[in-house]
Parts: sequence; C-alpha cells; structure tokens
Amino acid sequence: MRWSGKVGSLFLLPAVIWVLVFTIFPLGYSLYLSLHNVTSKVEVVGREEVPVLDADGNPVLKPNGEPRTRTEVIRELNRTFTWNDFANYGRAFRDGQVRDAAVFTGIFVVAGVVIEIVLGLVLAYLFNRPIIGRGLMRSIMILPIFATPIAIGYLFFTVFYEEGGPLQWTGLPWLSDPTMAKISVILVDIWQWTPFCFLVFLAALQGIPDEQIESARLDSNSNWDLWKTVILPALKPIIIIVGLLRLAEALKLFDIIATLTKGGPGTATQSYTYYAYTAGFKLQDYGYASALAFLLLIVVMVIVTFFFRFLRRTYE
Amino acid sequence: MSRRSMEGGMRQSSFATALYSLLALVITLIFFFPLYWAISNSLRRPSETFTVAGLGVPFLDFTPTLDNWLAEIQVKEAYNAFTNSLIVSSVSTLLALLLGLPAAYALARFRFRTIPNKDLTVWFLSQRVLPPVATAVPFFFVFTTLGMQDSLISLILINATFILPFVVVIVRQTFQDLPIELEEAALVDGASHLRAFFRIAVPLAAPAIAASCLIMFAFAWNEYLFALILSLTEASVMPTHIAGGADTRGVQFWFVAVRSLIAMVPPVLLALIAQRYIVRGLTLGAVKG
Repeated sequence: MRWSGKVGSLFLLPAVIWVLVFTIFPLGYSLYLSLHNVTSKVEVVGREEVPVLDADGNPVLKPNGEPRTRTEVIRELNRTFTWNDFANYGRAFRDGQVRDAAVFTGIFVVAGVVIEIVLGLVLAYLFNRPIIGRGLMRSIMILPIFATPIAIGYLFFTVFYEEGGPLQWTGLPWLSDPTMAKISVILVDIWQWTPFCFLVFLAALQGIPDEQIESARLDSNSNWDLWKTVILPALKPIIIIVGLLRLAEALKLFDIIATLTKGGPGTATQSYTYYAYTAGFKLQDYGYASALAFLLLIVVMVIVTFFFRFLRRTYE
Repeated sequence: MSRRSMEGGMRQSSFATALYSLLALVITLIFFFPLYWAISNSLRRPSETFTVAGLGVPFLDFTPTLDNWLAEIQVKEAYNAFTNSLIVSSVSTLLALLLGLPAAYALARFRFRTIPNKDLTVWFLSQRVLPPVATAVPFFFVFTTLGMQDSLISLILINATFILPFVVVIVRQTFQDLPIELEEAALVDGASHLRAFFRIAVPLAAPAIAASCLIMFAFAWNEYLFALILSLTEASVMPTHIAGGADTRGVQFWFVAVRSLIAMVPPVLLALIAQRYIVRGLTLGAVKG
C-alpha cells in the first residue's frame, strides 16, 4: 500500500538535487577534463603596496612617521583546457605503470574477495554454533570494519616491521620484497573485511528457517549434506551480493597503500587509485588523472550494474 | 542478537562446545592482535618500540608509560585535528540526515510513476560504490576556484554526499516496516503529510535513525582521500593528522600508535552501539541483519 501524489516528490526533491549537484555534475566535469589537456599556470596579474605589520598587527612606521610598505605580487592561478583527441585515454592504454597498477589491483581484488568470502563463511559457521562468549567475540570482530583505514596502514606497518616487529620470527620480507609486499597488502584487506563477510553471512545463516534445517536433518546426518542442500543454496544470492559489493569497494584501494607501502617497494604495490591520485595531485597532470579515474569508473559501473540487478527486487 | 535457536538445529556435546569456543577465541584474538599491538606500542618508550620481547605484554615484557599519550594530547595540532574531525563528521551527518530522511520516507511511502521507486533507490545507493577518485579532480578545481581549499565547509559538503546512502537505505526499510495505518489515521484527522512524517514516522523510526547517524559519522570520520586533497593545515582532520606522524626523520611509531588509537576509538565505539544495523547499512539493504 503506497500513496501517490505530488507531496512525495517534495520529500524526495532536496536529496535528488543534492546528488545531481555533488555527484552527477563532478562526474560530467571529470569526463570533460579527461578529454582535455589541463595546464595550470600561475600568472602575475598585478602588484600592490601593502603596509608592513608587526607581530601584534600594528603598522610599522618609518622614521618620518609614514607607514612602512612592501610590494606584494598578486598572482592568479589560471587553468587552460585544450581538447586533445582522446590523447589521455590513448596514453593510459600505453602506460606501463597503468598496466602494472591495474594488474596488481585486479589480483588484490580477486584474491582478497575470494579469501574473505571463504573465511567469512567458515567463521559464520563456527559462530553459528552454540559457543561461549559469542556476543563479545562478535563485537570484537566488528572493530576492523570501522577502524580508520589510514590508521590501519600504520598499525600494520609496525606489525610487519621486519626488524623487531611481532612477526620477525617468520623471517619473511613482509614489506621489503615486491611479491611479499603485495601479499601483505592483501592480508591487511583480509583482516579488515573478512569480519564484514562474516557478519553478513552470520545474519543470513540465522535467517534460515529452523524447519528447513530440521527437515534436512531427517534426511541426512552429515553436516556437509546440510550445507550442500540447504545452507549454500540459501546463502547463494547473499554471497553474490557481498562479492560484488566487495569487488566494487576493493577497487578503490587507496588509504592502506598511502600509509602501509606508499606504493613500494618501487611501484610494486601501486594500486590503480593510488596511481591516478599520484598523476593528478603529485604530478599535476589533471587531465590524465581524470581519464584514469574515468576508466576505473567504467569498470566499477559494470560491477555495480550486476550488483543492483541482484538487489533491485529488495527495494520494492 | 539471540533469537530463534541460534544453533540452527545443531546439538553438540559440552566438550564440542568448549572446543569450538576455544577455536573462536583464538580466531578473535588473531583479529584483535593488530589493535592490541598498537595499544602495547603506545605504552612503550621510543627506544623500546622494536626491542620488546615476546608479545609485548605491558608490565610483563616492559614497564608501560603514558608519556606518549601525555605528549600527544599537548600538541596543538592534535586538538585542532580532533575538533575538526568532530565538526566535519557531525555536521555532514546532520546534513545527510536532513536530506536523506525525507527521501527515505518518500521512497518507502509514496509511489513514483515517472521513475519507479526501485530505480530511484538504486540511483541513490549507486554513488556509495562509485570510486571517489573519479570526482577528486573536479571537486579540487571547484573548491580551489571558490577559494574553499583548506576549509571545513568543503569537507562537510563532500562527506554529506558520500554518507547519504546509509540513511536512505537503513531508514527506508524501517519506514516500510512501520504500519501505514497510524499515519493514515492522522491524515484522516486532518494532519498534513509533513506532520504525519514528523509526529509519527520519525519518532517510531528513532532507533534506526540514530543507528544510521552513528554509521554515517564513522564513515565521515574515516574519510581520507578528500581530506588529503583539500586540507592543508587549518582544516586538518584526524586521518591527515595521523598521516603527518611520519615526517622526514622516518615514522615515529610511538606517536603514530597513539594517534591511530585516538582516531579509531570514536568510529569503532559508535559502530558497536549501532551493531544491529551494520549489516543492513553496509550491504545497502541486501541483508536485513
């Protein structure tokens, strides 16, 4: 039962306008920038005599009583946009660093998400049994999800520290070896997001009606049969949704890299977003950065479309 | 959270219960370890950062000191960053609430013809998953042109946009689960839709609204990319403040540990309070939790 009528639009309108202004407009602007060469130039547009002030903000006077002045140069930042026939996109496809970053991000996303889902299922199964202290342990498991990512990067920087860190006994080059550093980044993601998969799967497990489980129990006593015939089929849509959601989120990998490895050693752990950020905000190549960001956007949009196709029916 | 036999029809001996509980405990401790290590690190003298034996248990492996904490809370920049984070997170949460609450109500209670409700909901939620780096350059250009770099206002506007989907998805579902009859009775009595919304729906949905606020606050608090791009010194927030803990002399682990913990405590605590709604919020409504 729902109402119709124009009043509903009034409730909806402010949020719609907001999202248009703060999401759709920047995305359009980003597309525009990605098709242009962006050059920033600081130009001197004038000079001005300004009084010199002392520490307390009072004008400093010359011996003759006039205020002392100094010349201030007025600069203006000018950005010029010149159309460049998709050159940014062409460059992106030829750029070896882009390829490396995309490959690393791809491996990170697939490995991370698969392991998180499997571990999450195992943990949900374990926590769904009668165990002592479940409430408290479940609460502790929530902590990584909401811990500030930038802080997590530093946390693991000390945990992975190779001389005197708590994992020194393993003798592994956690962050100094290119391959190992990649694995370490994936491990951090697993640490942060397995709890999320676990939490969702646990909620889903508890949503399976008891009768279904009881009747399956009558047929077979093996746990594996129970999983195969009842639990996994019931969880399947949720596993897909969690997988797609994690996929889209993991592609944004940035914060952890910024503090844990800074993309290193060398460029081994440079994630796609990190490289796009570097291109834009370190090298001031804004047009190129926008093109890189837009390519990522396309990939994410494909995933998101699948995601919402699965989800749409729950929004009735 | 206990409801209908949590065991899912499983019976097990007390020995098995003990065994599974122990296993669960070990896994929980492994997940807790990095946080524990930061706590331990923050209580050590700088020289002890990488020399403490074993698991670095305070009192057992070293004599704990509060020096790092005391030094950090006397730093002016730390206050500045903490206050800024508080302001940015709470104002952007409030703003998102102001926009998202009526939208959630509209999606739950009204039928839209031109664009079906489903598609509107998808549209609102989809920007939660869009990569923020795609809007980074445009926002940077617009805000620098307007002279709004290093200002809290720009961070508030951007964060409000990113966290808006949480209130929409969490509260929309709650509104939908409320019996519509109460509001209809009020409408029959001559109340306006606005009055029915404020006087009946909002109070009844209060727990979900509060939970969505906590989750939104936590996400706004943790946001880093835009804080990095848009804030220099004045508008420094906790994430950029922590990142500043590593200077040219290398990472100062003892301060970084303290800062990381100070940064993590608010979002983590709020999330614990809002536990019941985390699953619904983070799966964008796919699982009700």
